[in-house]
Amino acid sequence: MSQDATLWLAFILIGLATTLPRASFIVLGSRVSLPPVVQRALRYAPAAALAAIVTPDVLVVAGEFAPLNPRLAGIIAAVAAAMLWRNPWLPFIAGMAVLLGLRALAGG
Amino acid sequence: MSVSSFRAGAREGFLGFLPLSVGLIPWAMVTGMAMISTGLTPLQAMGMNVIVFAGTAQLGTLPLIAIGAPLWLMVATALALNLRFVIFSAAIADGFRGVGMPTRWVCGHLLTDGVFAHCMEKMLKVDDTRWRLGYFLAPSLWSWLLWQVFALIGVFAAGSIPKHWSLEFMASIALLVLLIPMAKQRPMLVAAVVGGATSIILRGMPLRLGLIVGIVAGIGAGFAAEHWHARKEAP
Repeated sequence: MSQDATLWLAFILIGLATTLPRASFIVLGSRVSLPPVVQRALRYAPAAALAAIVTPDVLVVAGEFAPLNPRLAGIIAAVAAAMLWRNPWLPFIAGMAVLLGLRALAGG
Repeated sequence: MSVSSFRAGAREGFLGFLPLSVGLIPWAMVTGMAMISTGLTPLQAMGMNVIVFAGTAQLGTLPLIAIGAPLWLMVATALALNLRFVIFSAAIADGFRGVGMPTRWVCGHLLTDGVFAHCMEKMLKVDDTRWRLGYFLAPSLWSWLLWQVFALIGVFAAGSIPKHWSLEFMASIALLVLLIPMAKQRPMLVAAVVGGATSIILRGMPLRLGLIVGIVAGIGAGFAAEHWHARKEAP
């Protein structure tokens, strides 16, 4: 098998490995149902997952736990903007401005 | 009448998601650039982008493609990175009641973190099937379009956008903005704190399994907090 064909086969297999988990229960629907206790527990999935995905991006620098970094300051600014004002673009503007501003200051 | 309820749902879903979708742009561009820097041709890169349509799985398997790793390892890695979607899929599945099978496959393929977090609550509450479908499909198709267009821009811009702009930080901001309204409930906040802390502590685990353990630990902690809270309120 040529290298190019192997690559496309890899894309298709990786695609299946990403689509099957996503489609699983949406496709199975009501024919397979999770117990009520599991369903109640699953309400916490989004909050747990969002936090698990985003906290290492913010608090870990080059593999080390380093909470005092410009990213945390940027996130604090973004969260403050989201809680204080209704403008949906403001968290992005505030967060990026603080991150890049602090980096510029640190860089002299 | 059913067409108008589909449109009404699509409109509400799209407008609510629009600001959050900004976070996809840097990820798509970064992914596009990463695919080229791994050595894929533009055609291969966009082929992967269309077939896989999953940022973490794409970015996570690129290093394996680069070193010519065996196929099973790439598949196992992609599965580990996307296992959280089994949980998301189960949580939102009831929102597709009344929807036909082919459409369910399309919706399943299009499910993303952001759309899930944005859509789940109303998908479960609203009765009108057409409204729910519009409410899910509009932000999902918008995400798909953004993902393809900005990955393509990344593919062609590879090498010319300075890395120190840190555009990928906008994705972190978007995820946290989604988290804020949830964290106003105490057990949800507990779930988030435990999930985040576990994910950091276990960041060294292979295949980013620490992420999955963090999600499971967060769910358990939220559930426990709910029970504890309920018992304290009881007479």
